[in-house]
Amino acid sequence: MDLWQLLLTLAVAGSGNAVSGSEDPSGKPQFTKCRSPELETFSCHWTEGVHHGVKNPGSIQLFYIRRSTQEWTQEWKECPDYVSAGENSCYFNSSYTSIWIPYCIKLTSNGDTVDQKCFSVEEIVQPDPPIGLNWTLLNISLTGIHADIQVRWEPPPNADVQKGWIVLEYELQYKEVNESQWKMMDPVLSTSVPVYSLRLDKEYEVRVRSRQRNSEKYGEFSEVLYVALPQMSPFACEEDFQFPWFLIIIFGIFGLTMILFLFIFSKQQRIKMLILPPVPVPKIKGIDSDLLKEGKLEEVNTILAIHDNYKPEFYNDDSWVEFIELDIDDPDEKTEGSDTDRLLSNDHEKSLNILGAKDDDSGRTSCYEPDILETDFNASDVCDGTSEVAQPQRLKGEIDLLCLDQKNQSNSPSTDTAPNTQQPGVILAKENKPRPLLISGTESTHQAAHPQLSNPSSLANIDFYAQVSDITPAGSVVLSPGQKNKAGIAPCDMPPEVVSLCQANFIMDNAYFCEADAKKCITVAPHVEAESRGEPSFNQEDIYITTESLTTVAGQPGTAERAPSSEIPVPDYTSIHIVQSPRGLVLNATALPLPDKEFLSSCGYVSTDQLNKILP
Amino acid sequence: CGGQGWGGERRLPCVASLPICPTGAVNCQVSLRDLFDRAVILSHYIHNLSSEMFNEFDKRYAQGRGFITKAINSCHTSSLSTPEDKEQAQQIHHEDLLNLILRVLRSWNDPLYHLVTEVRGMQEAPDSILSRAIEIEEQNRRLLEGMEKIVGQVHPGVRENEVYSVWSGLPSLQMADEDTRLFAFYNLLHCLRRDSHKIDNYLKLLKCRIVYDSNC
Repeated sequence: MDLWQLLLTLAVAGSGNAVSGSEDPSGKPQFTKCRSPELETFSCHWTEGVHHGVKNPGSIQLFYIRRSTQEWTQEWKECPDYVSAGENSCYFNSSYTSIWIPYCIKLTSNGDTVDQKCFSVEEIVQPDPPIGLNWTLLNISLTGIHADIQVRWEPPPNADVQKGWIVLEYELQYKEVNESQWKMMDPVLSTSVPVYSLRLDKEYEVRVRSRQRNSEKYGEFSEVLYVALPQMSPFACEEDFQFPWFLIIIFGIFGLTMILFLFIFSKQQRIKMLILPPVPVPKIKGIDSDLLKEGKLEEVNTILAIHDNYKPEFYNDDSWVEFIELDIDDPDEKTEGSDTDRLLSNDHEKSLNILGAKDDDSGRTSCYEPDILETDFNASDVCDGTSEVAQPQRLKGEIDLLCLDQKNQSNSPSTDTAPNTQQPGVILAKENKPRPLLISGTESTHQAAHPQLSNPSSLANIDFYAQVSDITPAGSVVLSPGQKNKAGIAPCDMPPEVVSLCQANFIMDNAYFCEADAKKCITVAPHVEAESRGEPSFNQEDIYITTESLTTVAGQPGTAERAPSSEIPVPDYTSIHIVQSPRGLVLNATALPLPDKEFLSSCGYVSTDQLNKILP
Repeated sequence: CGGQGWGGERRLPCVASLPICPTGAVNCQVSLRDLFDRAVILSHYIHNLSSEMFNEFDKRYAQGRGFITKAINSCHTSSLSTPEDKEQAQQIHHEDLLNLILRVLRSWNDPLYHLVTEVRGMQEAPDSILSRAIEIEEQNRRLLEGMEKIVGQVHPGVRENEVYSVWSGLPSLQMADEDTRLFAFYNLLHCLRRDSHKIDNYLKLLKCRIVYDSNC
């Protein structure tokens, strides 16, 4: 029996303990929380605990102590206000509250300390909830489904935010009315906040709570704000059907653009011509531009030769042809840069060298280059009056023109020219320029261009041309005899040549030799007639004899050909006395042989037949 | 801008956005409003860091040791007679209040410096605590400069002697006994949190009073 009671008592006691196990095992009163809502006052709350038995709740007391001085030895003071904060609370008003001062409180029950707590007021700040929540509609979306609202509230009245004593931040929460989970927004410092995307067909609840900045504990929530958004009509979501002007315009523009592009692409070429007209290329009538592109210059030249202004350079390749122009009218023309110019303008020595005065034995042949004297001109163009000249006869003799020149140089040119002095000219040019010579004396065979010829300088300004009748195989030029020329050269100083010249058989076609030589030949001729005849050592090449000289010695009886009569036309050419720069050849005047005149001093050029006539 | 985030805590707002005088400018006058705004931001930031640092330390080292009951030690700045409630703070003249703020700030230069070095020497020094300590030290220096500027504008001419409380808790921080050392740290961090809150509150009060004419 005793054992049963003991077990029952234990069971009851155990159950009793189990019942009160959820609470403080000891059942003693303890602090629940201490809180300061505005950093000016604070209050502490406790629970009484479960009292076993019938002991009356007892006198629970709260004592506090705060360190206002360095000293910690202070007495515990009792709570000044057990009422203001409610039951089981102690309220400390502002006079009892010191911030940043440590407080310790203890709870006593019947004198026994049941709980103790230490804190500072700034650590237990938990503001009151905000008041005055309201909301305003911000806007409604175009679809009419969502809306935005702005929620405003006021800070808790006891918090002195205006003086800045406490700074609060707020947190807003909202949810639909039939939801259980609150949506939280980020804390804000301001007292109004927008809430976005609320559905119009739902109703919402909003609440706000605050806390001191830098604290972690929030105060209590405010009262719930009920948000009832304006309901739209059920058919409001459907938008009125509007004629889709916008779409029509877009498609119209698109279509027009397509058509425009098609048009542009089809007429691409023409449009290009309109916008960028081609630059006109130079066009020459009758000439195909392709010819120019292909580089067929010959055809182009032929076409262009039709035009007068076009003078292609045909002579570029004919380097072997050289021309000496002695044009009085156009002194500048064709003399610059050409070989003529070089020939005339260079030093006398050079020219003389070219024309080669050498007294050597080979001087005669080397005195002048055959190619220099080689000409290629039209006989008709050269001499107007040389047609009446005796037919060109090739003379195989060779006359030392240059030697003649030299002798002419040594001797003063004969100034006494016969009236029949002409103005022959010698063309030593290679230029195929059939320039008519200033053969004024062709008809003036008997006229005296005397004054002109008398002056050597004037001679230089006169162009003289000799008609080249033929070209010997050796390459030397055979000049046809012109009319009576007065320009002559003093006889070369080559008596031996004279002797050879005086060979009987020296008469060749178009041989020209010195009149003096001829005369000498003639004079000697009688002596060496037979020999001269027998000896065709006369250089039959290029011997230039003036007919006049022949004529003068016509009186000589000669086995040689009879000298031409006085009427024998004198070749209209003259030996070159001196080459004067730059454009002149001083030709020795060769007076036509008057019967009483002496021509010994002058050499002229006669044709071979004339010479034959002259010589005995 | 300062303030790296440590796990989502509040960050310092970008102070660089506030207008500042170019370096070397003599007569540049930043407005008092801007100075106060910047000072409040800094003080708020410092208090934030202090709270977090204290919580971190408490969680890590002080649990179960009953420090909290023993931590009502006096802070070295308690000797400074600062206003302890709103009435006192409203009654005190703002020039005196500014000077008090300066004193408190100056008093913390030395402890903060040693705090950093000693936290570094702690065994398993947590990075969060150390980084915050470093940041607090730097920001405290900046706040001190800003406060001196404010004093120069509000109360020019008078330059009081540099009064501050001397901190003598260094030997405690270097105690060999770990408990004693940890308690010294705990106490120092607790005091730091409290004083940073005090300065923050004073500055906000002064800002509303001076700049906004008590109408924040």
